[in-house]
Amino acid sequence: MTIIILEIQIILTPLVSPLCAGVINKIKARLQNRKGASIFQPYRDLWKLLHKDEIISRDASWIFRIAPFIVFSITLLIGASIPLFTSFLTNTLTGDMLLIVYALAIGTFFLALGGLDIGSAFGGFGSSREMTLSALAEGGFIFSLLTIALINGTTNIFAIANADIFLHGKYLFPTLLAFGGFLVVLLAETARFPYDNPATHLELTMIHEAMILEYSGKKLALMEWASFNKLFIFLALWVNLFFPIGLAYTPGVITISMGIIIFMIKIFLGVLLIALLESSMAKFRFFRLPDLLLISFILNAIAIGLIR
Amino acid sequence: MLEIITSPISFFILLSLFFVGAIGSLLLRKDDDSANIWSNFFAIAGSLWGLLFSVATIISEHTAAFLVNGSPFPLLSFSFNIDLLSAFFIFIISLIALFCSIYAVGYVRHYYQKYNIGALGFFYNFFILGILLVLTASNGIFFLIGWEIMSVASFFMVIYDRDDQENVKAGFLYLVMTYIGTAFIVVAFLLLYKFIGSFDFVTIKSGVALLPIGAKNIIFLAALIGFGVKAGIIPLHIWLPAAHPAAPSHISALMSGVMIKTGIFMMMRLFLDILQPIPIWWGIVVLIIGIISSLLGVLYALTEHDIKRLLAYHSIENIGIILLGLGSALIFSSLSMPALAFLSLVAALFHTLNHAIFKSLLFLGAGSVINQMHTRNMEEYGGLIKYMPQTAFFFLIGSMAISALPPFNGFFSEWLTFQSLFQGIAILDSSMRWLFILAVGALAFTGGLALACFVKAFGSIFLARPRSTEVTHAKESPRSMLIGMGALAMLSFLFGIFSSQTVSLLEKIGRSFDVLQKIPETILVSNSQGLMIENSFSSVSGLTFLLSLVGALIVVAIIIDLIINRSQKIKIGATWDCGTDLNPRMEITSTGFARSIVVIFKGILKPSIQHTIDYSDSESRYLPRTRTVSLGVGDVYKSYFYQPILTMITSLSMRVKNIQSGNTNIYVLYILIALLVSLFSIL
Amino acid sequence: MNQIFLQFLLGIMFLTIVFLHLSKKNFSASIAYGIQSLVIVLFFLNSFFETNNLAILLVVFLMLIVKVILAPLFFIRLIKKNALAFSVSTYLNTPLTIISIAILTFIAHYQKFSPLTSIVPANQDSLSLALSAMFLSLFLIINRKGALSQILGVLSLENSIVAFVIFAGLEQNPALQIGIMFNIGIWILIATIFMSMILKHFGTLNVSSMNNLKG
Repeated sequence: MTIIILEIQIILTPLVSPLCAGVINKIKARLQNRKGASIFQPYRDLWKLLHKDEIISRDASWIFRIAPFIVFSITLLIGASIPLFTSFLTNTLTGDMLLIVYALAIGTFFLALGGLDIGSAFGGFGSSREMTLSALAEGGFIFSLLTIALINGTTNIFAIANADIFLHGKYLFPTLLAFGGFLVVLLAETARFPYDNPATHLELTMIHEAMILEYSGKKLALMEWASFNKLFIFLALWVNLFFPIGLAYTPGVITISMGIIIFMIKIFLGVLLIALLESSMAKFRFFRLPDLLLISFILNAIAIGLIR
Repeated sequence: MLEIITSPISFFILLSLFFVGAIGSLLLRKDDDSANIWSNFFAIAGSLWGLLFSVATIISEHTAAFLVNGSPFPLLSFSFNIDLLSAFFIFIISLIALFCSIYAVGYVRHYYQKYNIGALGFFYNFFILGILLVLTASNGIFFLIGWEIMSVASFFMVIYDRDDQENVKAGFLYLVMTYIGTAFIVVAFLLLYKFIGSFDFVTIKSGVALLPIGAKNIIFLAALIGFGVKAGIIPLHIWLPAAHPAAPSHISALMSGVMIKTGIFMMMRLFLDILQPIPIWWGIVVLIIGIISSLLGVLYALTEHDIKRLLAYHSIENIGIILLGLGSALIFSSLSMPALAFLSLVAALFHTLNHAIFKSLLFLGAGSVINQMHTRNMEEYGGLIKYMPQTAFFFLIGSMAISALPPFNGFFSEWLTFQSLFQGIAILDSSMRWLFILAVGALAFTGGLALACFVKAFGSIFLARPRSTEVTHAKESPRSMLIGMGALAMLSFLFGIFSSQTVSLLEKIGRSFDVLQKIPETILVSNSQGLMIENSFSSVSGLTFLLSLVGALIVVAIIIDLIINRSQKIKIGATWDCGTDLNPRMEITSTGFARSIVVIFKGILKPSIQHTIDYSDSESRYLPRTRTVSLGVGDVYKSYFYQPILTMITSLSMRVKNIQSGNTNIYVLYILIALLVSLFSIL
Repeated sequence: MNQIFLQFLLGIMFLTIVFLHLSKKNFSASIAYGIQSLVIVLFFLNSFFETNNLAILLVVFLMLIVKVILAPLFFIRLIKKNALAFSVSTYLNTPLTIISIAILTFIAHYQKFSPLTSIVPANQDSLSLALSAMFLSLFLIINRKGALSQILGVLSLENSIVAFVIFAGLEQNPALQIGIMFNIGIWILIATIFMSMILKHFGTLNVSSMNNLKG
């Protein structure tokens, strides 16, 4: 039984993440009065990319070649290390919140290096902007996780997910503040509005897209998939840490299925919110973004101050 | 067996190895090659001995305090005290010196025929000798002798490459700042002598109750400034970005990895050991200094395009992180929370070790690159990964370590520092909490900004196309340099994976402090796989992370490469160039990379931009011939802090100058008057 | 030899210093220095007869050779070589010099210095005299403009310190004396070289014209 659960835990992230991206696009299309692509379109895109040939720039080095693998593996690892639909799996080895933050930073590191490696203007600027935003977002990220950690008395993510929601209502307000702060960071790290437009390919507006512009074929598939995984991971963290309800407490077919279903519903709500946000606002000018991140940081700091 | 290794005789053998290396190197100065081999051989031998000695001391906890008789002066006694903290720092210096010396065998070759290699070997060995004396001296005056040896030897090495006038100026600034620091240290020691009556550290420690509180605070401030100059805290750091680039690279590595840590060592020794019990505001001051130094250090590093200045600023940043650990240790110890103080201290010690390793690695890598490129300007690098692949790989590991990416060692020491600060937030009350919240924020931002800075550094140096023709002439470094760097990279990796074992050894060192001995239960429980803080607050395991990451990589690689679409063809083509010619100007420069961050932080960094246009026709000003843009960062410290002091001192000196009439007779008259006055006042 | 003879010798030494102040010719100044050194040698000889310490005998011989014979010879040769027959003038004229000498001697005998001079209470007068000899030697350096006189002043300062030490009963440390020998030897060598260099560079040994020493 446990083996099946573990396998589901490992596979769930890469399996479901393209679906999330597809649903976001579908909702946005509907809001724009279009029919939009099928929600399974990202799967088809990945399949297509995996079966295409590649062109690699002659200026690229082994870093360019290895970066997609590292970025994707990191997201796999993190996806398996965070609570998705269960809370009884204890993971004291890789379930620490700081490890998650910095492991995702490894992904950002290699992504940015991959963008620099090809020596194009797009890649360079993409990396520059990405590192700027990532450096500033890290503060808010750590702080929002810290709020929840302090409320629960542990930085182990699984242990946090095991706790009662809002600790019986005592910490409602700090949790909500941290929730809002985490949302801002989520949008930054997953390259969504108002930070980045995942659909654009204009050099003035690209951040994530700029760094992976030169990739093609299998490597591009891995990069795209990794970005879907990252979105899924952040959504999972968002909904499970701040609202740890519906997670399976004990192993058993019923509880696991209920856990997965409730988890999917929560993810869907998160996806809906993101799609609504993306449809209602425009991308911000780049130098307004640090202010936004600073707001997130301050919100989280206030949340921490309100604990106790 | 261990007794013999950790005995005083063994320590003297250690000192004499370096001494012989120094003298022999000077005697062999006519022959570059033999001077190089001799000095580095003895440095390597001494380092190996030092490693053996320190590891044996730490494992067996067999500390030694001994005295060498024969001092002609009553206040100076050649007394040594090698306790666990000294042994730990001896371990650090031996480790770094070992690999820097191996590196130096190949590196120094490019100074042959230009400068005196014998002199370099002489000063190098004396430098290490001085540091060893500083770490083990138990008498204030003896300590100062070692401090002087260390400072003067490093000065001569900083100005070693004296063809470049900038280096000489940097050396002079370094010397002046060092002596200002030493003056403050002397003041601290003199005050201790005045109230306790001895320069001996053990006596001072037992007599610390005799100090009135006002004097104790002044001693704290003097020691903080004095040792802070050496450690490179802001605003006393102005010598660091000038002196570290000027010295030869293996010396920069030693200076940055070890010498600035002697300041930290003495701060730990004085504040946590000798002067206990301490008021809480001391820890608060140190914590604030840590916050400021770490943030400003990394921000200034982002503005640099000189590779070694960038690394020097990162040293300032990491000293700030170590001070975060030390400051919280001081705060917890004065609030009588020894368990938390222990945690913070272990974090600070671990980060000291880790920083020494990865900073030396980065400096050695920078040295290899500069050797080939003959310039320190990162804007002229680019694409070196194809010409110097091993150096690039080692530099990558160093970059990952300093950016605190798991599974390298930097992550684990920052993790521990974070944990100690988290505990502070969890346990302390409101006013102190906000300080710790601020510290966590500073550490979080520092980590992110350091990552950005090293993406910039690694990307500008090694990736993309060459930005100058010099790059195409670059060759991989000689084997000794690669061995030095490779070993440090391996250590960086190993100390990360085996962080739990390292931390358990560090716990021993932490427990050797008197104030931390009464810990009811350990807060840091390291089982064989990972680090764990008590009450299951946090735990992390480097080994598991590494294994799972490697496992995931292998699985992904197999699936993607071998299973899906095996018939894929990979073509090599040109980068997408939007139809124009590909040239180096298309790549982002390191200045451009960091410009966004500089603009965001423009309140702190005060960037300036200056346009100069040279027109063909100065009358009509329509057709520019050349246009120069100068980007700069405002030097706040020079203009607001040092310049007023300098002006004041200069005007004072001009007035005092009138005493100097140029006539020797007047001078002897001054002597006679001074003699009479002093005789009158003493008798 | 008894104490009275020793005190008499000390008086001779004191007079030589006063003579150094007042002399106009360098030749006689060098001879005065030789006499001073001879006095010190006699002090050490007396000490040898009292303690029969062979080391002191060695010191006596060394001192005899270096201080009494070689040093004045060096100076005389220097004078002849550079034609420095007449010593240059002083800052204070002769009456004021004598008054200053008197004031310094009085200060040395002042009771404020009694903790210093009563190390050996029996010799208190001699110690005060030696102390005043020290002050006078310093004053010699201050007052005189010629470099040679200043060097003689330093050397006589050294002699007065040795006399002080002897009367305070501390001369049993021969290492001290050999050190002083060595010191003098080097000093003389350097002084000769230095003075000839100054002469070559400035053309004169008149110290007040060497204004380039001004900061």
